[in-house]
Amino acid sequence: MNPLLDQFLSEAREFLESISAKLLELERNPDQTGVMDELFRFVHTLKGNSGLFDLPEMTRVLHAGEDLLDAVRDHRLAFSRALADQLLEAMDFVGLLLDEIGAAPDGKVPDTSAHAADAARIGEALRALMATADTAGTTDTATAATAGGQAAAEAAVAAPTDPPAWDASALPEAVRMTLYRALLDGTAHSLLIYEPDHDCFFSGEDPFFQVTQLPPPLWRRLSTAEPWPNLAELDAYHCVLRFELILALSAEELTEHFRYVLDQVQIEPLSIEALLQPSGRVQDQPLATDFIRTALSQINAHDSEALAQAARTLLELSAADLCIASGLRWLLLVLELEPDHQDRQRALLNAIEQQCFGADGALMTASATERATERTTERGPDGIAESSPDRPGSETSTASPSATAISPEVSQSFRQVIEAQRAILTLRDAPEWLSGRLRSVATSLSNAFASLYAASDSDALEQALAMAVEAKDPTPLQDWLAAQPLPIDAQEEPHPLTTPATASAAANATPDPTNTAPKPSAEDQVHFGRRAEDQPSARTLKVDQVKIDRLMNLVGEMVVAKNALPYLAGRAESVHGVRELAREIKGQYSVINRIAEEMQDAMMQVRLLPVSFVFQRFPRLVRDIARKLGKEVDLVLEGESTEADKNIIEALADPLIHILRNSLDHGLEGPEERERLGKPRVGRLRVSAHPLADRVLIEISDDGRGIDPDVIRRKAYEKGVIDEIALERLNDQEAVNLVFAAGFSTAAEVTNLSGRGVGMDVVRNAIARVNGTIDLRSRVGQGTELRLTLPLSMAVTNVMIIESADQRFGIPMDAVVETLRVPRSRIQTIKHHQAAVLRGRLVPLMALNELLALNVEPIANADDELAVVVARMEQEELGIIVDDCRETVDIILKPMVGVVASIPGYAGSALLGDGSVLLVLNPMELL
Amino acid sequence: MPFDARKNLLVADTLLSVEDAEVLLEWLLKNPRGRINLSACTHLHTANLQVLMAARPKISVWPTLEPLAEWLKTALDKENKDHAKNDTGR
Repeated sequence: MNPLLDQFLSEAREFLESISAKLLELERNPDQTGVMDELFRFVHTLKGNSGLFDLPEMTRVLHAGEDLLDAVRDHRLAFSRALADQLLEAMDFVGLLLDEIGAAPDGKVPDTSAHAADAARIGEALRALMATADTAGTTDTATAATAGGQAAAEAAVAAPTDPPAWDASALPEAVRMTLYRALLDGTAHSLLIYEPDHDCFFSGEDPFFQVTQLPPPLWRRLSTAEPWPNLAELDAYHCVLRFELILALSAEELTEHFRYVLDQVQIEPLSIEALLQPSGRVQDQPLATDFIRTALSQINAHDSEALAQAARTLLELSAADLCIASGLRWLLLVLELEPDHQDRQRALLNAIEQQCFGADGALMTASATERATERTTERGPDGIAESSPDRPGSETSTASPSATAISPEVSQSFRQVIEAQRAILTLRDAPEWLSGRLRSVATSLSNAFASLYAASDSDALEQALAMAVEAKDPTPLQDWLAAQPLPIDAQEEPHPLTTPATASAAANATPDPTNTAPKPSAEDQVHFGRRAEDQPSARTLKVDQVKIDRLMNLVGEMVVAKNALPYLAGRAESVHGVRELAREIKGQYSVINRIAEEMQDAMMQVRLLPVSFVFQRFPRLVRDIARKLGKEVDLVLEGESTEADKNIIEALADPLIHILRNSLDHGLEGPEERERLGKPRVGRLRVSAHPLADRVLIEISDDGRGIDPDVIRRKAYEKGVIDEIALERLNDQEAVNLVFAAGFSTAAEVTNLSGRGVGMDVVRNAIARVNGTIDLRSRVGQGTELRLTLPLSMAVTNVMIIESADQRFGIPMDAVVETLRVPRSRIQTIKHHQAAVLRGRLVPLMALNELLALNVEPIANADDELAVVVARMEQEELGIIVDDCRETVDIILKPMVGVVASIPGYAGSALLGDGSVLLVLNPMELL
Repeated sequence: MPFDARKNLLVADTLLSVEDAEVLLEWLLKNPRGRINLSACTHLHTANLQVLMAARPKISVWPTLEPLAEWLKTALDKENKDHAKNDTGR
């Protein structure tokens, strides 16, 4: 998987979490500017990151969100629930896209264009919020769209998400001139960019028909989003066209015409400024400098006739396809149509000056200085051209570097560029695109040097490039680079960039990689090494869970393996009779035992996750559900820092969400009903977690209507969950527990939240799967409380070893209440079932042999007492008669697999220290 | 079929629908040097336009319908048209 994408995904998810949290916080307290700023920053960063990948839909939505938040931040718009709703939905959409990208195979960024319509809809909704703010709130009403209410039209006009500002220079000069006249006349003209959806044919659209129904455009262009594939591979039904038109229609008329595909069109009004551009071949015109100087003074003197005359003269002297000629034609046109618009004329002269001449430093510099002197109000372009005024254009690279005094920043970035190219050149692989790579390096180098020295040794560079491409070897370019003078700054650096070694290589011009390669790669290391140092060393590691799991398994094996030592000690003493050795082994064992336990503990710590991992979704969830149900709920979260094993925490998420939904849907009353009942309007939902010995206790309580045992009894009877006798016999608590029965639902009607009867039994099973228990208490009219207890970890299980019929079994300690010896005389038989009174309660007794169908009588001890393990089963207790109870051990419980997987009664098996296999019973399944 | 396929020449009917793009593409694949007569054509579905743009066949007769001809010439024949002559944006 692409690591960059990976990181983006995980970061983006974190951002989404933070954004939701901030939104909710703002909703409670909208005046916190600090939170607002943070929120904006999150969205902004996320948008920026998404731009790294080809995810136009995501970027589009985030951009709209960012704009909206910006408006809120500047107090142009008030934060509201509707706004939060809209933003949360947008974030959900982004989350959906993230999931899709994460699920994509082979780590490529998938094509998310299927969501383009959604993205457009969400983007528009966000912008609509802003549009209403603009029209209602401030004077900042959108200028282009005259129809005030047409939010949709505005959205389409102002959609700046897609390709950056359209470049009017694509238009031929004649068209632009016509447009200029037309715009001056006041006729509305618009630019339309229509990019139909890739799948639009399948929804019956015919974009070309749409376009041809428009009046003949002033200008049109048809291009494609991607280059045409080989004809044999062409998918005629995958629309890749892009229409660009300029029409004598207003934005409103176009919006009306494209009202069904507004998300696919971009309608922009045309501005005169964008049209006024000289275009054409760039070449120096000796008289131009003089002309511009006099022209500026003529404009200042309002002498438009003289200016026109001068322009005409120069135009005659210039070739018609030159940029300057185009500029002059424009100037004449402006003079003709708008003789008093001096600013426009000046702007045009500026454009001519900046665009129409080649990279001739002399001319640039001269005109720049002149401009600076003539119009002191405006600053000349700062930078390289001015700072090297003496640089003769014809000089080549042999000139002394002292002439190029440049600022440290420029020098720094220059060096970075050069270093990067150098690094590329040292790559020794020869891919198919090598020549392209070489060309790109040459271009970068030529540009970089040109920026510094106005004119550079471009001929030599081209030669070197040609050689390099010919030989498929970057050495000539390296040589050229080595021969270049570098800025003074750079030469003062401790590592000289030009070395005798490379210079001599240049002189020999022998492509000898062994000679040249090591040097640049050393540079490389210096370069990248510095960058690595810049980064603060990471204090947290992100590790794949699989690796942690493996480590944990190994630690577990270790814990089990160390258990073999006591056996060894026993054997040393009993078999070999070396008591001394046995004691030493035991001593070593205690050391290893301590280390192993610490290792296990440390491993647990690594896997521990705070319950906030699950809890943090609740505020949003509760808010959404409560709003949907029209209830008011105050969610209280407690003990979010309580920790438990990752697997447990993850297994907890769904059951908890289910429980919360139930509470919201069935438990809490609506505000009116609550008031009538004398309760506060706002319902209270409390979720707390705290550690309880080696378990975690999670309590979910509400102050709603509670569960009415009578209703439950009746419903359960109606649904056939219980029979008539049970109906009479069940006490209230037992009745309430019926909600855990499969297929039980009390809701009168099925809503999309709950009431489908697959509720609490699923919850109970999910909790039971991680060895958790669930306990429900409820009082009518006062609320319901659910208590979940969960083990901290599932990795190592503590079991008690018992013996029966000469076999050893394990019973999880979680299930064991007590072990005791019961005299045979105290065992009574009630209706063929054995039972005994233990601590004042009647506990049924079953022999393990009987449960496992082993045809052996339990063995009593010398005093005729039977060993009994009292195990907890659901809410009841069962005494299991065994032959003997042994020690407890930590084991790694492996579930039964393969052929034996379906045998009931066993939780799994484990390996003991002496190498034997221990079967671990599951008391629940025994009966 | 709204085409009249002759040897190396395809004569199009008045309207080329979306399904016809497939036919057109197949014909052009079989006859890479085939010419197309569009004189009768008054509208062709965008999919057909895409096929023509991708294949760039020789158009023996442009549509009689002037607006359509203009559009097709823009799409297929940019060098010959003055409105695209000094189009530097491409």
